[in-house]
Amino acid sequence: MNRQNKGSLSEKQMGYLLILPALLIILIIAIWPVMRSFWISLHDIRLNDPTKTEVHSSYGLDMERYVSTFPNLLRYVKKEAEAAQGPAKDKLEAIRQEIEQMNQALQQSGEIASRYEAIDQLLLEFKPIPNELKYVTLTGEATDAIRTTLAQTESTLLEMGANKQLAKPEGAVGVMAGITSAIIEPNYVGFAYYQHFLTDSRMWAALYNTFFFTVVSVVIELVLGIAIALLINRPFRGRGLVRATVLIPWAIPTVISAMMWKFLYDGQNGIVAHLFEVTGLVSDMGVLLSTKAGAMFSVILADVWKTTPFMALLLFAGLQTIPHSLYEAASVDGANRMQQFFRITLPMLKSTILVALLFRTLDAFRVFDLIYALTGGGPANSTETISIYAYKTMFAQMSFGEGSALAVLVFLCVALISIGYIKILGADLLGEGNGK
Amino acid sequence: MQKKAGPLFYIGLLLFVFVVMFPFLWILLAALKPPGELFGERAFQFIIQNPTLDNFVRVFTERPFARYLWNSTVVATLTTLYSITIASFAAYAIAWLSFRGKTIILGIVLAVSMFPQIATISPIFMFMQSMGLTNSYLGLIIPYTTFALPLAIWNLTIFFRKIPSDLGEAAKVDGASIWQTMTRVFFPLAMPGVFTTAILVFIAAWNEFLFALTLNTQEAMKTVPVGIVMFQGMFTIPWGEISAASIIVTVPLVVMVLIFQRRIISGLTSGAVKE
Repeated sequence: MNRQNKGSLSEKQMGYLLILPALLIILIIAIWPVMRSFWISLHDIRLNDPTKTEVHSSYGLDMERYVSTFPNLLRYVKKEAEAAQGPAKDKLEAIRQEIEQMNQALQQSGEIASRYEAIDQLLLEFKPIPNELKYVTLTGEATDAIRTTLAQTESTLLEMGANKQLAKPEGAVGVMAGITSAIIEPNYVGFAYYQHFLTDSRMWAALYNTFFFTVVSVVIELVLGIAIALLINRPFRGRGLVRATVLIPWAIPTVISAMMWKFLYDGQNGIVAHLFEVTGLVSDMGVLLSTKAGAMFSVILADVWKTTPFMALLLFAGLQTIPHSLYEAASVDGANRMQQFFRITLPMLKSTILVALLFRTLDAFRVFDLIYALTGGGPANSTETISIYAYKTMFAQMSFGEGSALAVLVFLCVALISIGYIKILGADLLGEGNGK
Repeated sequence: MQKKAGPLFYIGLLLFVFVVMFPFLWILLAALKPPGELFGERAFQFIIQNPTLDNFVRVFTERPFARYLWNSTVVATLTTLYSITIASFAAYAIAWLSFRGKTIILGIVLAVSMFPQIATISPIFMFMQSMGLTNSYLGLIIPYTTFALPLAIWNLTIFFRKIPSDLGEAAKVDGASIWQTMTRVFFPLAMPGVFTTAILVFIAAWNEFLFALTLNTQEAMKTVPVGIVMFQGMFTIPWGEISAASIIVTVPLVVMVLIFQRRIISGLTSGAVKE
């Protein structure tokens, strides 16, 4: 290569160029979805309701639906008209004219007409309809007109069906439902979901459960973590082996460790439940997973088992950075072990402890896998955290707008917790970067 | 403080190791037990009368477990490769080149790594569904970036900072371009850090649950964690098979942890501790 490449980039430009792909990806795949979540939470989106599967900011028509259902309606009315006689025939003829007029009025717009053609062709070839073709925006009045026509048609058809004037009355319901679902209304609901959750006792219970789980498990993990770190910090044989064992719970996938514990807690065959019963900790083996307090305890114990190693390792690494001379000086001055711990170890560990607490608190607050697999949030929602509630709202009820509002709440809580910790930690976390 | 360890210490230590390992060991026993010993009278026995490998066989013959393993391997490997590549460039720039805004960039990376997954799932799910990417490998690899890339950038930056930058200066004096410095001088030195980070990213991707649960719902496209959780039927939970499957997944991880424990520990802790 050309050694003194004059055209080459400066260090600064090179730096930005190297960082650009990572930043772009993070922006598109992480930051944009969070903002989008917030946007979705302002809309009534339900994946099980065809008219509400997306954000619709204005009135409009789902052309794919319309194109595939309008001919059915027309065909149905025509057939019925052919079969009917007397006043019924006239009525059906009137309906036919009305819906054909409605269709013509719609197709007066050249754009809609051409889209109609294009979509019809695609449907004929069994090809997917691209999104940009699918939806047309209509004015509120135009939508109202269509809706009124369809509503009138429907009531007339149903009435005629009830009066036995139709050959196939049951067909009317289907074709009408099909075409009505093509009408799209704006599904913007503003902060309605947030307002709803403010008074939703299930949300407050979930929030309480989340905080309770987070605080209790993180405190236990911190205390145990410090104890283990002190234990493995002294010289002894087999230190490497102990450190490796400690890593195993960390490496096991969370859901698999949750399944393991579910088996250990099992009301009939669980060894841990059995041991607890034998030692009198619980009155009955079933208590662990089938009572509210028992389930919360079980979840916390499983979490402590899984994540204390991480805490211990961070603190252990922190311990190793404390200069040995400090302890020697302290012994010379006559400080006992207790004093050494509180005057030297803890203060020197402060920033490590805070970092470990930050990571663990956030992880615990976001808890999902463990509870999903171990209790599913039960019994009676007693272990349901905000993330689980959000998941259930989204994927069991298919109410994405509502679920997203809960997800945004999780995000806000996490953001507040991080800001709190970072205030205490200061710029320490990112610190080293300023050196250069 | 640093007293020599006595016998009491070792007994305590042994007890501690036993407690930590117990769930894992018990699951190993459960995997080897025939149904008759898994439930009922012998449910709490440590000694297995008729050990059997049936559970392990059934996991592969009666369930698409091999397929789950393959799916997880593909997704975790590709996620690791691609995020490490992109992160290496970014981390190199942050650690070795001088330009403005590095602290802010690191701050963004750290903030994104703290994002709760649940807060990104609804738009990602709707996007993947509209693009027809649910039940595909790409449909998982893309969202896995949300945690893999920040994790990789953060760890690599910390590793790269430890490589003395005078080496870069020396290469510059010798007339090497930035690109040459990066590929010839820097990357060979950085390989251990890259390798450690790759292990961490791989484990994170292998263990991921929420995206895999919601995006890849077809039997043939499930990953291991989702597959195992879904073993349970409406009324029965096949504990023997779940235990066997858990052991199969966990053993490679345990071996990996035993071999690379030093690297993993340094990777896990280097961000939190100032040296």
